[in-house]
Amino acid sequence: MSWERELQELAARLRAITVEVATGGTSAGSGVIWDGNGLVLTNAHVATRPDPIVRLADGRTLPARVVLRDPQRDLAALDVGVRGLPAATIGDERALRPGELVLAMGNPLGVPGALAVGIVHGGPARGWRGTRWIRADIRLAPGNSGGPLADAQGNIVGLNAMVVGGLGYAVPSGVVTRFLRGEGSRAA
Amino acid sequence: MTAAAPRSPAGGLAGLSNDLADAVEQAARSVVAVHARRRIPSSGVAWRPGVIVAASHALARDEDITVTLPDGHTVTATLAGRDETTDLAVLRVDAPSLPPAERADPTALRVGHFVLAVGRPGPNVTASMGVVSAVGGEWRTWQGGRIDRFVRLDLNIYDGFSGGALIEAGGRVLGINTSGLARATALTIPATTVDRVADQLLSHGRVQRGYLGLASQPVRLPEALRAALQLESGIGLVVVNVEPDGPADRAGVLLGDVIIAVDGTPVRDPADVLAALGPDRVGKPLTARVLRGGQPVAVTITVGRRPQAQPRRR
Repeated sequence: MSWERELQELAARLRAITVEVATGGTSAGSGVIWDGNGLVLTNAHVATRPDPIVRLADGRTLPARVVLRDPQRDLAALDVGVRGLPAATIGDERALRPGELVLAMGNPLGVPGALAVGIVHGGPARGWRGTRWIRADIRLAPGNSGGPLADAQGNIVGLNAMVVGGLGYAVPSGVVTRFLRGEGSRAA
Repeated sequence: MTAAAPRSPAGGLAGLSNDLADAVEQAARSVVAVHARRRIPSSGVAWRPGVIVAASHALARDEDITVTLPDGHTVTATLAGRDETTDLAVLRVDAPSLPPAERADPTALRVGHFVLAVGRPGPNVTASMGVVSAVGGEWRTWQGGRIDRFVRLDLNIYDGFSGGALIEAGGRVLGINTSGLARATALTIPATTVDRVADQLLSHGRVQRGYLGLASQPVRLPEALRAALQLESGIGLVVVNVEPDGPADRAGVLLGDVIIAVDGTPVRDPADVLAALGPDRVGKPLTARVLRGGQPVAVTITVGRRPQAQPRRR
């Protein structure tokens, strides 16, 4: 089946752009290489210390610096100081339709580079202060936080953040973009 | 209503993804939200013009029921009836723009078939994906309801799942999903069963069920008695209650009688007696072989009609 082969190739591409984030010597979650300039995105609840270590798919570990952090949107941007790493292709989460396939990559329960496949559950969930999350019918576990949520074409539509009522909740990539531009942050 | 997105030229995985989203969109046109309890709505499926099927356990009340349609309008619904034994309820609505669901044949389902559960626990549609986990033949729920086919699902149950539609890749409905028939288990009531129960609920307001007016529980026969009567089974059902003036009472059944066979078939559990009391038995004779004072006696009971349950007001 051609789609099975595609799924395997897509999983490999996602693996290359997914990192493990450790703080204080302990694995804290996952992250996504967001661009070719060494920018790695993860959740604020993963990057709880200023000097995390990032482990790449090829095994290299790099010291990182937290350059931006927003606990409200649960986002943190790290700089690993290395250019030219394989980076995410960012997608538009607003085009997601209920039922379409999504893929998650991360380190659930300490297993590195694990793939989960599910579907978009429905429309986005809205929290207080305008936060919103993509909801996916997908099996995530602790360790998936900060990792990529991709559509069937491999575009990153969100960052996996938490599990609520059995559903995987992800911070939409549009929110990440505004976070990186310094837009929309609210005083705590 | 938006048209289905065009098929991606890439085919393959993106094409599969598109097909799944199209299937949900197609089915969603017939899936509604049912407001009949304090917490979040449950789902319902437009089954026939003006008729919606929902999960009985998710409807906490019989009155003040409203339904939210796919177009966002909310309309009042009247409960035509419930069948708690199959966890189905049927509602009537005035909603000419609501199309009945397109159906697929549930007898073609096999283990491993890719399926989606589509619900509407609010204004918007939701879906989860999985496979058919197990299939089997006709089975009886713990309350004695007859379901034509056992269909167990490996997919996540979420809020609003019950009363929603099980669909195949083309968006056609195979049955109604429920988590109310077995604890924490996603099951589907196949479309054939839904039709049968809906017919009864729409014509009679309930599923007519045969009724004997007795309660029983399993009891082990003394070995000497079993051997003397040459019974294969050492289990009988001792009658612990006889409803005054009910069918069993009028046939002369006594407290303490031990039922050992119904219509020639040995019984070991009250469910075995229930199994002989389908809608087609109302008014017909039922032969019970009982032990009375250690002696076998044949009793013929004219099966009555089960009295209606009290309506709920909550």
